Amino acid sequence: MSEPWMIAGAWLATGLTIALFSFLYKDNPFFKIAEHLYLGAGMGWLFQVSVFSVWGPKIWTPISNGDLMVLVPSILGLSLMTQFIPKISWISRYGFTFLMGYGAGLAIPASLATDFMNQIMGTLQPLAGVSSMTPLAIVNSLIVAVGLVCVLFYFFFSVEHQGHFKKVSNIGVYFLMIYFGASFGNTVMARFSLLYGRFDDLYTFSGGNYFYATQIILAGMVVYFIVHELLRKKEASEGEAAQ
Amino acid sequence: MTKNKALHLAVLFLFTAGSAFAAKPAAVKKAPAQPAAAITGFAAADMPYDVGGAALLRWPVGHAETPDTVYTVFASTVENGGWVKADEFKAAGNSGKSVDLPFWAWDGSSSEHALKVDLNAAFGELPAGTVVHFKVESSVNGVVTAASEPVSAEPKGNWFRLDRLNNVVLFVVLVGVFFWAVSHAKRKGLFIRRIAGLDAIDEAIGRATEMGKPIYYTTGNQPISYIGTIASTFILGEVSKKVAQYDSMIQVPHYDPVVMTVCKEVVKQSYLEAGRPDSYRDDSNFFVSQDQFSFAASVDGLIAREKPAAVFFMGYFSAEALLLAEVGAANGAIQIAGTDAEGQLPFFFTACDYTLIGEELYAAGAYLSKEPMLLSALKVQDFGKLVVMLAVLFGTVIVMLGAKFHWDTLVNVVVNVFKAY
Repeated sequence: MSEPWMIAGAWLATGLTIALFSFLYKDNPFFKIAEHLYLGAGMGWLFQVSVFSVWGPKIWTPISNGDLMVLVPSILGLSLMTQFIPKISWISRYGFTFLMGYGAGLAIPASLATDFMNQIMGTLQPLAGVSSMTPLAIVNSLIVAVGLVCVLFYFFFSVEHQGHFKKVSNIGVYFLMIYFGASFGNTVMARFSLLYGRFDDLYTFSGGNYFYATQIILAGMVVYFIVHELLRKKEASEGEAAQ
Repeated sequence: MTKNKALHLAVLFLFTAGSAFAAKPAAVKKAPAQPAAAITGFAAADMPYDVGGAALLRWPVGHAETPDTVYTVFASTVENGGWVKADEFKAAGNSGKSVDLPFWAWDGSSSEHALKVDLNAAFGELPAGTVVHFKVESSVNGVVTAASEPVSAEPKGNWFRLDRLNNVVLFVVLVGVFFWAVSHAKRKGLFIRRIAGLDAIDEAIGRATEMGKPIYYTTGNQPISYIGTIASTFILGEVSKKVAQYDSMIQVPHYDPVVMTVCKEVVKQSYLEAGRPDSYRDDSNFFVSQDQFSFAASVDGLIAREKPAAVFFMGYFSAEALLLAEVGAANGAIQIAGTDAEGQLPFFFTACDYTLIGEELYAAGAYLSKEPMLLSALKVQDFGKLVVMLAVLFGTVIVMLGAKFHWDTLVNVVVNVFKAY
């Protein structure tokens, strides 16, 4: 026999899981309860993360140890909050300016390296060994080069995609679709593993040691939906009769 | 008698010879490792163009080097002793050309050895100003054949990375193109091709107006500093301007409070520009949650209850993309999505009527607003793409021909110019 708090936890987990899944049928009070609970719990969780993982170790502890330098980023961060007070909202510009400047300084060199140089180099580098490559490897490298140029051309906005340009652009779209198809399959498989996790829990909590939580909650919800639907139909027919 | 003496002598000779042969290898093994020669010209210096924590060692290729010669480099942070093995390599596998620096920043030759020693790996992070001592030994089959005198160097970070000169040149060119484009856009305007998905915006807003239902617009889950979110706010501005003109209603649930603040101003400004400030509602932008799935659950609930006629998903989305788009589709809304999260694009394709792919999201903001700055930024991106396309096209031909006909210098130049260091 499981501990009482384990049984309570199992009933809560099962109830919330089935309540959220019930949205697949239609919007209903069980889903609304789960939705609002999830919303509140999510915000509560984020609040404690901000307090215990950011404010505590990154601001309070250093200041307590005499490291006053952390006040500078803290004040810049706090300046963003002045957005909510119109009279002093101009102060937030300092924070935003720092954020944008810092972000741009960090991102531009990295983007130049990754979006330009690495793309070109990654395409050309294999071809530097063409004299020792197999014909298939050469074809593979050339497909990569053609794919890169065509896909890039699809995102080239300075010319209208007509005539030969449209053909190049269409080849780019085919490359994109192949990529998206592979990506779709990959992600769907990952999502299925999450679904199996929930089903596994529902199966576990359907046992006698959890007092058949899954079956009872599921049956309760089904009964509710049937009764609700019958009442709704009755009300509708009474309304029609009254008219 | 003579025969016996001869036999004794023969046995003695064989025994002595056998002992001598048996003792020979042991005698070699036990011989003290006497360096046959000194390694001259061994020099240490700070590794150029790095953040510190590394040293560069150089010395000439020895005349007595064989393919089996192995060099062992030792380093120490104290004046005497304390040697730690920092690296070991076969002589044949290293030369001055092995250093990973481009031709404009490094002039290594095959007549020398050059080695970058990562001191952080050997000693952990060294305090600034630490002087490190080095020595090198060559050996063949475990026998030390030569050794150098200790030399020292002080590793330090460098202000300028000459190896990234190609990046700087590209950056300067792009900035130049940007300023030209801004000037051109302000004077004559800049052409941008039609983006198919955007034509549907009018259709979606018109449908919502006819049906008397709201329009939902989400800006994704990234902060305002993210380029996709910025593009989304520009599109929101144009969408809400049309909403104001049609006297329809827009609802913008938010994941990020700062984005919400910006979007409030954007929507307000759009209503002003449309000449309908009285229709603006301050609660059209509202915060939901900064937790990914509770945000998705809540917005799903809102969509299911209010049944909007049109839903826009513009910005960066993660796993909540399909959760949101599926509910919108199930409720019969026209859905237009635009995201640069390539992993989520397939889900938007399946659940939305129109999808802006990747950079089309950025282009959409410029296309709709005709803002010179945005148009210029788009032109710079186009210029960058043109550079990449031409570099790949011509680079492929040059590199393949160079590799085939052994034009090593030309291949090396192309490979160096387009390498990100």
